[in-house]
Amino acid sequence: MAPILEVHDFTFRYAARPQPAVQGISFSVEEGEMVLVAGPSGCGKSTLLRALNGLIPRSYKGDLQGSIRIGGVDPRTWPLARLSQQVGTLLQDPERQIVAADVLHDVAFGLENLGWPRSRILERVDEVLHALGISHLRDRPTFQLSGGEKQRVALAGVLAMAPRILLLDEPLASLDPQSAQEALALFRQLHQEGHTVLLVEHRVEDAVRARPDKALYLEEGRLAFMGDLEAFFERVDPTAVKVPFPVWLRRWPGVRGRPMPRVEIPPASPSAPPLVVFEDVSFGYGDGPDVLHGIRAEIRKGDSLAILGPNGAGKTTLLKLAMGLLKPRRGRVWVGGKTTREQTVAGIAHTIGYVFQSPSQMLFAPTVWEEVAFGPRNLGHPPDQIEADVRWALELVGLLDQAQSSPWALSFGQQKRVTIASVLSMRSRILVMDEPTAGQDYRSYMRLMDAIARIAFGPAPAVDALVFITHDLDLALSFANRVWVVADGRLIADGPPEEVFSDPETMRQGRLVPTSLLEANRQHWRRIGRFLRAERLVEFLQGTETAHRA
Amino acid sequence: MLVTWPYRRRGSFLETFDPRARLLFALSLMLSTLFFWDVRVLAGLWVLALFYFRLNRLTWRETRRAWLFTGFVAGVFVTITFLTGRGGFEVYQTERLLARLSLPVTIFGWTPAVNVTMERMFFAFSQMCRMGTVITAAILIPYTLDPTQYGVVFRGLGLPDKIAYAMDLAFRFIPTLGRDALQTMDAQRARGYELENIRGGPLAQIRRLAPLVVPVTLHALMTAEDIIDAMDLRAFGVGRRTWLTELRFRRHDFVLLGLSAALFFGSMAAAALGFGRFWVP
Repeated sequence: MAPILEVHDFTFRYAARPQPAVQGISFSVEEGEMVLVAGPSGCGKSTLLRALNGLIPRSYKGDLQGSIRIGGVDPRTWPLARLSQQVGTLLQDPERQIVAADVLHDVAFGLENLGWPRSRILERVDEVLHALGISHLRDRPTFQLSGGEKQRVALAGVLAMAPRILLLDEPLASLDPQSAQEALALFRQLHQEGHTVLLVEHRVEDAVRARPDKALYLEEGRLAFMGDLEAFFERVDPTAVKVPFPVWLRRWPGVRGRPMPRVEIPPASPSAPPLVVFEDVSFGYGDGPDVLHGIRAEIRKGDSLAILGPNGAGKTTLLKLAMGLLKPRRGRVWVGGKTTREQTVAGIAHTIGYVFQSPSQMLFAPTVWEEVAFGPRNLGHPPDQIEADVRWALELVGLLDQAQSSPWALSFGQQKRVTIASVLSMRSRILVMDEPTAGQDYRSYMRLMDAIARIAFGPAPAVDALVFITHDLDLALSFANRVWVVADGRLIADGPPEEVFSDPETMRQGRLVPTSLLEANRQHWRRIGRFLRAERLVEFLQGTETAHRA
Repeated sequence: MLVTWPYRRRGSFLETFDPRARLLFALSLMLSTLFFWDVRVLAGLWVLALFYFRLNRLTWRETRRAWLFTGFVAGVFVTITFLTGRGGFEVYQTERLLARLSLPVTIFGWTPAVNVTMERMFFAFSQMCRMGTVITAAILIPYTLDPTQYGVVFRGLGLPDKIAYAMDLAFRFIPTLGRDALQTMDAQRARGYELENIRGGPLAQIRRLAPLVVPVTLHALMTAEDIIDAMDLRAFGVGRRTWLTELRFRRHDFVLLGLSAALFFGSMAAAALGFGRFWVP
């Protein structure tokens, strides 16, 4: 039987770019297969997906060579209506995919466009909602759904059109760990039901839980590997892609010679001076109910604090209260010896530098240099100091060579680093980051976090404390000496990662799922004294074994 | 993702009417004001709009932000017109001076002063009543129109599929833009940016708004592009589409439509006969 999808020598160059985004890509997928497509940011994954779902060449113009065949037919000859019933795409961020105001109309949207009769549409929508276990969401407004619910609704809208091939574009990116697990189980179920699935995901460790049949690895626009998962793990660089910890152990001999980050993050000290104090803080938006209840906590000097918890639990709200952007309904937040009601946000910015989640919410200046100089200028720093601080901040995030570029011309990962430099240059005492790794590949974000750890805990510390919100449990255990877990507006855990991540009840309430690195750390931490990041743990274990053998 | 206006079902008598009939009545109220300058007629229309507002069971509490914002804008317009006296020169030729108020300062030989005349005062009252009617009828729409029905309402009013869905998206784009502007404002305030401290001449002030305006505009463009991609991927615009919600006029809808038509065409006819021109006691 002919493969359902054949890509032969496919090359595409966007009209506005000098270089091709993908080059000479050839592969095929059999009907009913699940293929994992992995690769770092900018490797050409999105371009490949756009070519498969028809946005290239319909919406994105450029120079296209080679061929793509779906069921033996060139999809460019099909009208969009037919193509959308052959290939369904779940976009990376479900928020970008949902177009209608309520669930029923969103799931029905594609079928309405195809002109199906009303009764058939309603039948099909109910069938799909039932199959995905979300019939109860049918009449809910879409903007009120949680992250996991939004993704299921977006997927229902795609499945309603009964496509033969499902393209899933980094579907785990915006989900908390438990929601990600549920999504993976769902993808597995769809595969078992006979769907052909292309799962694009750089979080390979998570993606393999959906048990794909084979993996396809792209690098710099070219196909670097295609084969089964075992062979993939023997070939892939574990510092480039997030792989399960046993793969690190196997691949260690090939990696050990490389320079490893050496910044030690010391344990948090409960007796260190507090920088921010939440004093029995409750908060609610407008006339609505409380979304945070009785928060009592301190951020102290020397903290590298990771804040975890389900989507919508109140993590960002908590930090906005510290920044003075929101004022508590009850209780007080103390920053630098004064409550947030007694200070302006600009005044608090001297103590807290807050990096928002999305770069597009704040980038505005014509050059990266001007963008990074904006904060210190607002705070009234002298010109000489601004010049020095902007240079220092850009060097730290590795963007000094882009100082005269437009921030909007940079990749998402680079934009994220511009936002961090923009806040670092203000020389605030606490660096607060909301999802600093979102939208970046493993190698990029680990390098960025290493640079940030050096800022706080290197030989010349420039900030007194780090705070970051994340869904990535491995990131927290690698870079935090203290963890808060927020669930349903309450702080349900506050302690060192070793303690918080070893408590099954906290893990359950916080919708956290153990990773292979956490399991390995749990096994060995009493011997080591603390949790370690992958390179350090494998170094320790291999060293110990070598010592035993010796 | 687009957010929606704060709609909720209120169990009002008017909710039993077809949304198209309700929308057309609100539009006829707004358009009828355009035919008159007589403050007595305009005040009557405003009272009718406020009565319609109450029938929808809307409260001051839930709409106060919208009232304060639109009221402020209207107040600024009316005040500027009153102070300059330039707004009403087409509807009155002579003015009866009641008082001349001047500031006790002279700038390059010019003393700021305003002539308070009967005509200016009544023109300001008329303008306020006209804007009040338009504002009252406009505020109603987002609070009482079910966001899942925006598209089908416009389709049902005769617009083509694509335009009707574009209107649906445009309606939801406004609150989304508001949310994005607040998020950007927060992000910039965290970098020490304070809107209230913007100083300098008009050009410098506009330039100082760039940290707010540029990200919101570019973000809106990116959102629009995302929406277009998402719609293309689900075959939008490939042919005649089915609208899942079916709207049907019933008998009492025709009564409301008749009232709307009577109000609009009656106003038009009255104006053509010379009724409702500018009036000063």
